[in-house]
Amino acid sequence: MEMKELIEYIAKVLVDNPEEVKVTELEGRQTSVIELRVAKEDLGKVIGKQGRTARAMRTILGAASTKIKKRSVLEILE
Amino acid sequence: MSSIEIEAKTTQEAIEKACKHFHLSEEELDIEVLEIRSTGIFGMVGNKKTKIRVTPKQDNTIVVAQETLRKIVSLISEDTKISAEKKGDDIILTIEGNNPRTLIGHRGRTLEALEFIVNKAVNKASEKKVRVIVDSENYRQRREEFLKRLAFRVGEKAKKTKKTVATDPMSPHDRRIVHLALKEDHQVQTESKGEGFLKEVLIIPNKNNIDENTE
Repeated sequence: MEMKELIEYIAKVLVDNPEEVKVTELEGRQTSVIELRVAKEDLGKVIGKQGRTARAMRTILGAASTKIKKRSVLEILE
Repeated sequence: MSSIEIEAKTTQEAIEKACKHFHLSEEELDIEVLEIRSTGIFGMVGNKKTKIRVTPKQDNTIVVAQETLRKIVSLISEDTKISAEKKGDDIILTIEGNNPRTLIGHRGRTLEALEFIVNKAVNKASEKKVRVIVDSENYRQRREEFLKRLAFRVGEKAKKTKKTVATDPMSPHDRRIVHLALKEDHQVQTESKGEGFLKEVLIIPNKNNIDENTE
C-alpha cells in the first residue's frame, strides 16, 4: 500500500496534470509491480533526461521496499 | 516565485487547482481574481470561465522543499524529522531518524535520488533556481572527506607506478570531488571514462612532470 502511495505522491509532485496520475500495484509473493500512468505530455517529466527521474524514483522505491522485505519494480506505462 | 493563471468553472475550483499545482495551502498563496464566470441566461450564453492569478507568498521554497521531503521520507521510514536551513541561496534539508542507513543508501544513492526529486519539485514552482541539498548524519561531509583521501591515495599510486589508475564507477557529484582534489597536483591528470551516469575517474601520471624525489 505504501509503495503505491509513495510513487503516486512523487509523480504528482513532478507532473503538470496531477489528476491524471494513476498508479496500480500488482502484488506478487516476492515482487510487487507498481505501474505508473501519467498524461502523455507529462511522460517526459516522470522519465527525465536519460531516464534520470525514473531512476531516482526506482532508487527511492528500492529504499522503501527494504522495510517490507519485498522487491518492488516500477513500470512507467505509456 | 512565479505566478500562474488558472481557469476553472468556479473560483473555489480554481483555487483548489492552484493549491495542487504549488503543493501549498490556500493561506500560502496570494490570489487575485481576474475574471468571474458570467452565468448568462439559463447558463447558455457567457460560458466564460473564472480566471485567477496565483502567486506563492514569499519564501515558500523552503516550506515546499521541507514538506515534499517530509512526505516522501515518511513513506519510507517512520519517526523521521526534517530540519531546514538556508545557506546563501541554497536550502539544506537534514533528515534525522532511526533509519539513516536506508535513507542514505549505498554510496549515498538514496540521498541523491531524494535530493533530485525535491529539487525538481521546488524548481517547478519557482522561477529563480534554488538548490536544495539533502543530508543525513553529516553524510555529505563524510563522503567528501572520504573521496578526497581516496583521490590523494590513488594519485600517489599513479605517480609511484607511473601507470594510469582508475577508480570505481562514480556519480557526477563524486567524480567532481575527485577531479577537484587532484586539480592542483601537476604530476597527474584526471579524466572521466565510461558511458552513462556512473563513470570511472582515470588518474593519469604526467610522465615529464613527475618529481623523482617524492619516493
